[in-house]
Amino acid sequence: MPMDHPSSSSSAGASPFLANLPSRGLFSSTVISSNPGGMRIYISDHDTSPPEGQHIKTNQQNILIRSLTLKKQRGDSSSKDGSDCSRKRPAEKVLDSRASAKKANNQINSRQDGSNSQASNRDFHSLTVERLRALLKAKGLSTKGKKEELIARLKEVVQRT
Amino acid sequence: MSIWNYVVTAHKPTNVTHSCVGNFTSPQDLNLIIAKCTRIEIHLLSPQGLQPMLDVPIYGRIATLELFRPHGEAQDYLFIATERYKFCVLQWDPETSELVTRAMGDVSDRIGRPTDNGQIGIIDPDCRLIGLHLYDGLFKVIPFDNKGQLKEAFNIRLEELQVLDIKFLYGCSKPTIVVLYQDNKDARHAKTYEVALKDKDFVEGPWTQNNLDNGADLLIPVPPPLCGVLIIGEETIVYSSASNFRAIPIRPSITKAYGRVDPDGSRYLLGDHTGLLSLLVITHEKEKVTGLKVEPLGETSIASTISYLDNAFVYIGSSYGDSQLIKLNLHPDAKGSYVEVLERYVNLGPIVDFCVVDLERQGQGQVVTCSGAYKDGSLRVVRNGIGINEQASVELQGIKGMWSLRSSTDDPFDTFLVVSFISETRILAMNLEDELEETEIEGFSSQVQTLFCHDAVHNQLVQVTSSSVRLVSSTTRELRNEWHAPSGYSVNVATANATQVLLATGGGHLVYLKIGDGILQEVKHAQLEYEISCLDINPIGENPNQSHLAAVGMWTDISVRIFSLPDLNLITKEQLGGEIIPRSVLLCAFEGISYLLCALGDGHLLNFMLNMSTGELTDRKKVSLGTQPITLRTFSSKNTTHVFAASDRPTVIYSSNKKLLYSNVNLKEVSHMCPFNSAAFPDSLAIAKEGELTIGTIDDIQKLHIRSIPLGEHARRICHQEQSRTFAICSLKYNPTSAEDSEMHFVRLLDDQTFEFISTYPLDTYEYGCFVISCSFADDNNVYYCVGTAYVLPEENEPTKGRILVFTVEDGKLQLIAEKETKGAVYCLNAFNGKLLAAINQKIQLYKWVLRDDGTHELQSECGHHGHILALYVQTRGDFIVVGDLMKSISLLIYKHEEGAIEERARDYNANWMSAVEILDDDVYLGAENSFNLFTVRKNSEGATDEERGRLEVVGEYHLGEFINRFRHGSLVMRLPDSDVGQIPTVIFGTINGVIGVIASLPHEQYVFLEKLQSNLRKVIKGVGGLSHEQWRSFNNEKKTVEARNFLDGDLIESYLDLNRSKMDEISKAMDVSVEELCKRVEELTRLH
Repeated sequence: MPMDHPSSSSSAGASPFLANLPSRGLFSSTVISSNPGGMRIYISDHDTSPPEGQHIKTNQQNILIRSLTLKKQRGDSSSKDGSDCSRKRPAEKVLDSRASAKKANNQINSRQDGSNSQASNRDFHSLTVERLRALLKAKGLSTKGKKEELIARLKEVVQRT
Repeated sequence: MSIWNYVVTAHKPTNVTHSCVGNFTSPQDLNLIIAKCTRIEIHLLSPQGLQPMLDVPIYGRIATLELFRPHGEAQDYLFIATERYKFCVLQWDPETSELVTRAMGDVSDRIGRPTDNGQIGIIDPDCRLIGLHLYDGLFKVIPFDNKGQLKEAFNIRLEELQVLDIKFLYGCSKPTIVVLYQDNKDARHAKTYEVALKDKDFVEGPWTQNNLDNGADLLIPVPPPLCGVLIIGEETIVYSSASNFRAIPIRPSITKAYGRVDPDGSRYLLGDHTGLLSLLVITHEKEKVTGLKVEPLGETSIASTISYLDNAFVYIGSSYGDSQLIKLNLHPDAKGSYVEVLERYVNLGPIVDFCVVDLERQGQGQVVTCSGAYKDGSLRVVRNGIGINEQASVELQGIKGMWSLRSSTDDPFDTFLVVSFISETRILAMNLEDELEETEIEGFSSQVQTLFCHDAVHNQLVQVTSSSVRLVSSTTRELRNEWHAPSGYSVNVATANATQVLLATGGGHLVYLKIGDGILQEVKHAQLEYEISCLDINPIGENPNQSHLAAVGMWTDISVRIFSLPDLNLITKEQLGGEIIPRSVLLCAFEGISYLLCALGDGHLLNFMLNMSTGELTDRKKVSLGTQPITLRTFSSKNTTHVFAASDRPTVIYSSNKKLLYSNVNLKEVSHMCPFNSAAFPDSLAIAKEGELTIGTIDDIQKLHIRSIPLGEHARRICHQEQSRTFAICSLKYNPTSAEDSEMHFVRLLDDQTFEFISTYPLDTYEYGCFVISCSFADDNNVYYCVGTAYVLPEENEPTKGRILVFTVEDGKLQLIAEKETKGAVYCLNAFNGKLLAAINQKIQLYKWVLRDDGTHELQSECGHHGHILALYVQTRGDFIVVGDLMKSISLLIYKHEEGAIEERARDYNANWMSAVEILDDDVYLGAENSFNLFTVRKNSEGATDEERGRLEVVGEYHLGEFINRFRHGSLVMRLPDSDVGQIPTVIFGTINGVIGVIASLPHEQYVFLEKLQSNLRKVIKGVGGLSHEQWRSFNNEKKTVEARNFLDGDLIESYLDLNRSKMDEISKAMDVSVEELCKRVEELTRLH
């Protein structure tokens, strides 16, 4: 972080900076007096309900649904679908990958769409041997061999499908 | 006490949380608006200083306060959001002097986690939207339309979960916020977002700033032309904008508040946690920021808000000490400070503990609070009523009347004090040594009782006795003229002013005399049908020497009449009703309004508005001041006239905001009073009481008097010991100068008169004083101070070690007599059946006081009771023990003598996080919890099953809106055993905002009556900003919201007295009770505090 030099407290101190403080002619009397006791207690006996339409409530629509409907409306009026999709993707991706990782921990998830295969290829390395074996078994393949062999066998199947 | 409780504020909140300056009450007016948690104060800035305008109660705890200027408006609107998710926009209507609600609404969401770092409410500088951050991960937007109207609010997802601050940036084409937040690795960053109102979403903003100071906590947006934002950290200050970045290191400090000085944003005032005020200067070349500078200015109270007013004057609002009005001087004083404190505004908050004592032994309670925190810690002595500071007193029995006289008409001071007895009159005068000695006025008749005396024009004095009126020269002191009562008649009552005498003789004769130069002239005589009981011709018209009205009170028909002078024509006759004769009448004027006061023989006082031209009497009101006959007299203090009502309960009657107020005087019984303004005792009063004549000055005329005793350290517990006339406090002193944050804890002994430290017992390192009581033990006549402590070690979550220390006071010194180690923090101590009951972490432990063989004593554990999360607050009554738990509400334990065991009898199964408990009576217990609620629970002894008996039934619930730290039985006012209010038991409480409140248990009949009054008042008195009183007072915490029950809002009920007549009538009609009766009943309640 670039840092300026600390303010070297000059001998003049704060005086130069306290010159020309804003003034509008108030507090100009030589004797400043105030009596905090003489304050009137406000009793509001008139109608205090707001004017019509100014009783504000919060839009109860779910944020996600709202943004989807807004986007849909936008998409209908101008064909900007592509940009919208790409804007939305990162969040979805995060969601998807989180969900798949979680599932993989619990049970075998054989459903691997093409778009995700790239990611799952890499994922195989992060899985334990046991999981890999379970995956192979589910596909009806041999579960023998070292981890590398298992992964190679799985990849083959995935690419074929 | 009972389950029907009346809650009222005796001292309003003084903790200043927010302040802002703007043109609120008119385009030309500059106003300072101050928020004190549940109230806002509006002040006007004037050449003479701060002029208070209005004190506005708000039905909510103010979370944010902002002034803003909608498009096309000439003056500012006020935006207020409350902690319970309500907001309102207020506008001042200068024509009606009313606060008009422009908009209001509810901004709560059904789901959402409330923010930890406080609610944030901000308004776009170009007034396009209001932004609120109330729940983690959500940013709420209330957009404005083109006409400045608010539209439906919506939420935007905010990715940053730990938000520290959000501000709007200036000078952006689209509304842009900057968010200061902490990530999950505790690093702090700032990020900007544009608010896309159409898409209802955020768009990435122009810049981000990562890895800021770890203590960065505050954002200051810089207005155009510079724009950008200042990020205030603990070790650095950073200026950041899309194109620029500057940073400077600062002396380590935590900045608590800032105030902008210049409209262009080149200078700011910063207030830190130690109360140091600094000036932050942005140096710039044209619109480019070139550097930052910080210059320390001097010390103030620890600021929670700073508002630059004008002409170098600054308002410092504080939560921990008194708020201040300061001036920034161009040149430092001898101590190098540029800060000059001109005014201090008393703040009692936070009241951590207090005790109720009767230091003057007058039967009137005083509250001594532990107030303030850190360096601003203090003790405050809060006393109700007006005190008389005795200057001199002599023993004199049987005084029948007193008057002061001057030695010449234009002498500004009084010289003589005429004291009348049953068969003589004595005259006292100031001699050359300024002593009061007996003297003589030759022209006065001294062998008889004087009925009245007065100064008269032409250097004369008037004396009225039962046989004559004597006119005496004040220079030669010789008799100049005398008027004799007709033979066979004697003067019964008389009154006079500088030019007139009015007297009444037996048989209902009313005689009017005029005073000339050396002549007394009988002008008019009138025969009334009954005897006359009292008279008054106090001149309150235009001529200060002469009255054109006379007030006369009558026997037999019990009436008060107004006569015209000099022709003695009857103008008005008012029947008083009842059988009690008027004993004293007085014509007086307060704040330009004329009144007739009429005191009855039974201590009641009637007041009427008096129309000076027609003599008409209107707006009759009745209050009860005491039980004995009252004598009324005017006196002046600080150039304002007040009335002194002498009786068994002396009272000062004064006027504030055109309303008559009654304040007791701290004297037991006063038979007569007269002002005595001598050169030696200026502005003094001569007071005759119980065989004594006292000369003294009077306090400022206000209801509560607060004396501050600054300690320079933070007192946390206080206790008074009657026998040794001392206070003991547990306090801690911070030492900010040392490298580490070192604090020292002490037990200190203070003299209860001088409040000086007379002895100190320092506690060990890491040892905190948690509780102190004064108590004695069975089989031991001594009185001890017992102190409970805890060793708070940095590595422990809960203390596992503590001590109980037993001290005696010997020769003004604390002597440690015994000490007992405990397995946890001693949160509470109670004297219990001649033993000591301690709450130690999750356990209640009983100790007995055992005499050892060597003659010393020790504390020996007898029995205990487990089963609490943390037993924080304990109260006892007989064998019953009421425990307030950290989070398990209230439980009731019983001590069984035979078995020597403590057992649980019943508990409240709600999950209330307690902050204080008190026992109201055998069956009803009062609790306060940390969502600012009050509740009562009742023991269910008649339950059919064990299960029912084991349950404390919740019988009362109420949202106070204040965090209570302590309850104590007692009263702030003197209790007269024979008055109605004297029978009502009360509990006093103290809160973080500096509120002292009173909870009074009412008889059921009165409760029902007042409940009806309250519901009628709700219809007439509307919440400012459209906020609902019912919702505000409903019990509310994270778990539930239920309507208030068995508690009444005394503040609302007592505001009946502030209503105008037509509204009073409206309520009186709805209640079917006369206004006079309503006023009397409400007035009586105001005497509880």
